Amino acid sequence: MPGTTAVPDIELVVEDIGGGGGGPTAPSGGSGDGDDGNKRRRPGGPPSPNRYYTGIALGIVSILMFFMALASAFLVRRGTSGDWIPVHLPAVLWLNTLALIASSFTLERARRSLSRLNLSGFRKLWTITTALGALFLIGQLVAWRQLVAQGVFMASNPASSFFYIFTAAHGLHLLGGVGALLYVLVRKFDKASIALPTAAEIASYYWHFMDGLWIFLLALLYLGK
Amino acid sequence: MATNDSCTSHPDTPQPGFLSRYVFSTNHKTIGLNYLWLALFSVFLGLAMSLLMRIHLVWPGAHLPFLPSLGNSPDRFAALTTLHGSLMVFLVLTAAPQAGFGNYFLPLQIGAREVAFPTLNLLAFWATVASFVGLTGAFLISPQSGITLWIVSVAIFCAASLFNALNFSVTTIDLRAKGMSLPRMPITVWAWFLNAILGMLIFSILLAACAYLLSDRLLSAHFFPSLNFIANQPASVVAKAVPVLWQRLFWFFAQAEVYVAVLPCFGLTTHLVSTFSRKPVWKERLVVLALCGVGLFGFCVWGQHMFSSGMNPFSPLVFSLLASSLGLPAAILLLSWLGTLWNARIQLNTAMLFALGFISLFLSGGLSGIFLARHDLAAASVSDDFVTGHFHLVMGVAATFAILGALFFWFPKLFGRRLNEPLGKLHFWITFAGVYCVFMPMHWLGLIAHSRVSPDSPLPSVAAAGSSMRTFITVAILLTVFAQGLFLINFLWSLIRGEKAEESNPWRATTLEWSVPSPPPLDDFGLSDPVVYRGAYEFSVLDVAEDFLPQHLAPEQSAKARESGE
Repeated sequence: MPGTTAVPDIELVVEDIGGGGGGPTAPSGGSGDGDDGNKRRRPGGPPSPNRYYTGIALGIVSILMFFMALASAFLVRRGTSGDWIPVHLPAVLWLNTLALIASSFTLERARRSLSRLNLSGFRKLWTITTALGALFLIGQLVAWRQLVAQGVFMASNPASSFFYIFTAAHGLHLLGGVGALLYVLVRKFDKASIALPTAAEIASYYWHFMDGLWIFLLALLYLGK
Repeated sequence: MATNDSCTSHPDTPQPGFLSRYVFSTNHKTIGLNYLWLALFSVFLGLAMSLLMRIHLVWPGAHLPFLPSLGNSPDRFAALTTLHGSLMVFLVLTAAPQAGFGNYFLPLQIGAREVAFPTLNLLAFWATVASFVGLTGAFLISPQSGITLWIVSVAIFCAASLFNALNFSVTTIDLRAKGMSLPRMPITVWAWFLNAILGMLIFSILLAACAYLLSDRLLSAHFFPSLNFIANQPASVVAKAVPVLWQRLFWFFAQAEVYVAVLPCFGLTTHLVSTFSRKPVWKERLVVLALCGVGLFGFCVWGQHMFSSGMNPFSPLVFSLLASSLGLPAAILLLSWLGTLWNARIQLNTAMLFALGFISLFLSGGLSGIFLARHDLAAASVSDDFVTGHFHLVMGVAATFAILGALFFWFPKLFGRRLNEPLGKLHFWITFAGVYCVFMPMHWLGLIAHSRVSPDSPLPSVAAAGSSMRTFITVAILLTVFAQGLFLINFLWSLIRGEKAEESNPWRATTLEWSVPSPPPLDDFGLSDPVVYRGAYEFSVLDVAEDFLPQHLAPEQSAKARESGE
């Protein structure tokens, strides 16, 4: 981050040699230059990869605000209504939760293999993580089916409305996470402006956040019924 | 300093077609301009609607060309009001100062060549266009599906604003040029940045509210009990409950929107006042703090709604808090503007006139806000002419003045030509007088209606004055709207035939966007990345040839300029 106030003047007068605006974490190899050069010349190289870290941090805050708004409405609505019939949470939800927590562990294992440059191990663990994420989503659909079979619909009562919208909103966000995991798995990173370790790290932040968010929502649904 | 060989640097790339140059371009300048065009179109559409409404209020029997085909019922009039409001608030006041000017000038002013995520930026723009189409389309289809479409469009707009806000904040944090430390950032950048952070927090709350509303409407969920309550009641109860419900939803958006619309305008005004007073911003650090304060209060008041009173925005205490919490930062900003203007050699061109107009409108609008902060009075006159006058003055018109000032200021940079100054000044004075003639009597009308509420003082003579006052307002608004024709003529004429801005820095301003040719080349800064050496408001510097030091000028060059000046 270019944040220093006292910049030595002599250094600055010299024609810019590149790396301007570059952060402490340099991408592995300058492969990004070639791709961006097609569109326009970037004397300083591609903009710093810091933007991905800042972006995911701010994005997480923003998504958190979204779910906090949902959750606060849940608490207020529960306190003020007389038509609240608690939803009996299907047992499959606990299995789903286990799968999601396990996926966070395999994700970290995958990133550790990546840092040891064990690419095949990374790919295997990353695939397992993606599969566990998909398993979670399928499990959530199963939970919906079970509730529907019991005759609990979105329109049944406020509690069921909240159950469906929480799971749907989280599921949609997690679907985005699965997409990000697949992107990391499939994308050829030698031509991208983002390096593989960076992409994996960004995806992992989002994934862990989704994991924690689900546990929060589940606790809310379980304790708040 | 600036190089202009960007077009010749890669001759092998073919000239891109219309679609890739204007429609699918991820270039921040193209997207910023597209936002401005969209806002320009919306503002004239919205103006036409306000004209229709005022004419209908005063001469209900008048035959209007456009209205009867849509059905001449009262709910059509209400829909017209809604459409006028949503177009103006979302696509003009929110989009133009933030997404429009911000997209174009935020990267230029911090020395970045692009926003952080260009593709996301393009997506945000087209989502905004989609929401514009939806908002307008909601007026044309049947009311029930129209309301659903309207909510969907607002949700899309929220998502677009979130993308935009994410882009702006990451760009400001990570893509600044060498030497552009936080204290050196122009106030405009500060305002865009803080507004982006505020927007990122509140638009996701609005999005959540939209998700609830839509589930209630489409999937008959039970989030807002009153919706279901109304559906099961006889029509007479519905008639009483609907306005309350409407106000409730309205404040959901308005509460946050006021800050989102006005924050970038504070930045623009501060920038213009400093540049055309040829003086540094008075107490610049304090101004930044005040802007932070506006953002913080804007969020906290909203947060209070969400967390303490939940989904119920009808706490009078919160209304009072909202009005008074904005007071301190607003006072600081006002003091800074006056302090900058004090003893300055003011250049009264059109851009500066509009900036001063903003200050005047903000002050008078803000003063009437103090009355509204007393919630007993506000309760009597909510949805009344007093409120209409108040928020149009402080939010709508004031922000429009800031936008127009910014347009006059940046027009040479955007298009390489200048707007016509005499025509611009004429437009300013008619508009300035016009908006006061429109909205000041509205305050009066509100007070008259208020005095009629109490039974012991009917004041028939004053009430009789009301109708003539309404006619006066309508005539004034006719004149004001037609004065905007002057602006349109000036704008289109200058675009094609305007006086060419020969130099890249016609206003002798300091920030980075003036160091590049007008209009800026595709890659903004040519071959070498810009480097920043000083703060953004180095005006009235004593021993230099001219009275200002641009941010990009190296100390050696400024020393040379000093010698040649002596």
